[in-house]
Amino acid sequence: MTAVLLPFHHALGAVSLEVASRSLLRPTQRETTSAFATLPDTAPALPSTAGATILTSARSSNRSDSLVLEGIWKTFGTGRGRAAALEDVDIAVPRGQFVTLIGPSGCGKSTLLRIVAGLAEADRGTVSVFGETVSKAMAAKHIGFVPQSPALLPWRSVLDNVRLPLQVNRKADGAATRNPRDPKEVLESFGLGKVLDRRPAQLSGGMQQRVAIARAFVFDPTILLMDEPFSALDELTREVQRHELVKVWQSNQKTVLFVTHSVAEAVALSDVIVVMSSQPGRIRAVVPVGLPRPRTQFVETTDEFHDVESQVRVELWGAWHGDDET
Amino acid sequence: MATTRPEDDRANGELTGTEVRVLEAPGVDGPIERERRAPRSLHARVWLAPVIAFGLLVLGWQLYALHNPYVIPTVPEVLSQIGDKPGLYAHNFLVTLQEAVVGAGCGMLAAFILAVVMCHVHVLERALMPLAVILNVTPIIAIAPGLVVAFGFGFTPKYIVTGVIVFFPFLINSLIGLRAPEPQALDVFATLHASRWEVLWRLRLPASLPFLFAAARICLPLSVIGAVVAELSAAGQAAGLGALIETAANQADLKTVYASVLSLAVLGIALTVVVVLLQRRMLSWHSAARSR
Repeated sequence: MTAVLLPFHHALGAVSLEVASRSLLRPTQRETTSAFATLPDTAPALPSTAGATILTSARSSNRSDSLVLEGIWKTFGTGRGRAAALEDVDIAVPRGQFVTLIGPSGCGKSTLLRIVAGLAEADRGTVSVFGETVSKAMAAKHIGFVPQSPALLPWRSVLDNVRLPLQVNRKADGAATRNPRDPKEVLESFGLGKVLDRRPAQLSGGMQQRVAIARAFVFDPTILLMDEPFSALDELTREVQRHELVKVWQSNQKTVLFVTHSVAEAVALSDVIVVMSSQPGRIRAVVPVGLPRPRTQFVETTDEFHDVESQVRVELWGAWHGDDET
Repeated sequence: MATTRPEDDRANGELTGTEVRVLEAPGVDGPIERERRAPRSLHARVWLAPVIAFGLLVLGWQLYALHNPYVIPTVPEVLSQIGDKPGLYAHNFLVTLQEAVVGAGCGMLAAFILAVVMCHVHVLERALMPLAVILNVTPIIAIAPGLVVAFGFGFTPKYIVTGVIVFFPFLINSLIGLRAPEPQALDVFATLHASRWEVLWRLRLPASLPFLFAAARICLPLSVIGAVVAELSAAGQAAGLGALIETAANQADLKTVYASVLSLAVLGIALTVVVVLLQRRMLSWHSAARSR
């Protein structure tokens, strides 16, 4: 009996230790947590369209200070097999915002991300990365990309994997705006300071994915694009990784476009959630996440969190079944 | 019961600091492989079985040879043949080694360069692959005499034969290896705007190394065959273990024939051992990744 419980004991002990240390470091932490606990128990709010108008008014947003996608169309295949992947998608992500794309499979969210990353081309529409075209942004190493699998180089140590972005395309490093970070420090901030010399194969899946995210942070890109980075992990590991990312992001507010299938992940991480519907891929709703920052894993136990989660879920059901059934 | 669990020890000893401990909580992350095991080659379990098998083979040979002196020489006879004329065998050994290594080296280099080009220009792959296939399916033994007529008894026809014989296997393996990187890794390089050269040097080439070594392990012994075939076709003039066999066989000198065969076997083993040692040195990451 005791033996069975021990792992839980251990985990709980570690977590509470962390809370203790955090509250020592940041006196506001405990207040924030308790503020969540006293939030009124509100019923799930109706999907707000206010966020949609703010976020999707791409045409009027400040181009030099946001990631702007305007009227993106994309089809795959030809002739009869032709399928619309994206239809007239407008998104604007202001600097320092964490925006998540969520939607059923085939809604084109990954395609959209690949278009922004320069890995695919839109049939119509423009993408402006802080006033630059995608190809210019790529050439200037402004785009950090975290793929679905960690895609680490197995022959390199963890540290050398994170060094990679600093070693390629060095022409782009002259820009004054760039502030590349020390790979060791980045890895330490991701809790990987002890495994610098390990090979990726010696790490667990969760740690590998964290190395991949560290690799995208290290060269200080203007925007970070993440394509379901935690989808290959088990549920428990996902949760841990999610909060590691929240923590790192909060200390280093990058502009992020994140793709996921997980509602909880979307709510925990984002400032704004873009719900997409499939066939054709369109923006169905834009849900602002009003949860205060800094967030910890305890945010997921608050009522406010569940309200936003329900809101996104309702939109997703609509996206899945069509409006008539919701 | 506050028994200490191994996981706890690890967390306490290796990973201090509360934040890391959360991540390393049991069940969340798998155990970490800490150090390599002792070299396996030292265990009797590993070397005993092949040594016994080899010993039985030698014994069987010896017994057969004692009863059939006109079919094969005995083992001591073969060994003393080499012991009596070490210079002769060493010289011919080195000649054949040179033919095999230089020819195979050039062939493998040419195959790799062509694979790099094919990997980037798909039209060239479609255009040249059928020619490579034709080169591969043509029996090398059939080409060798023609080459001797064209290029004489020197090293050139031998280099051509050994080069041609390794070309195709090395080309195919190089192509597969250069295309081995996962698409996501290529995506990461693409978003960093890495040049083709950077992708080749930092991604495709290292990713292809396991395939190149596997190919080398096939190609080098194959090149020894190529060298011997070329020598047999040009007997009488040039040196080399194959030429030695040809001359000795014409004189029914079985001891020399088998001493040469033994030398060839040693040559093949030596080349394989060099490749394996290099592979272990350069591909430690690969075996570590596979052993999981």
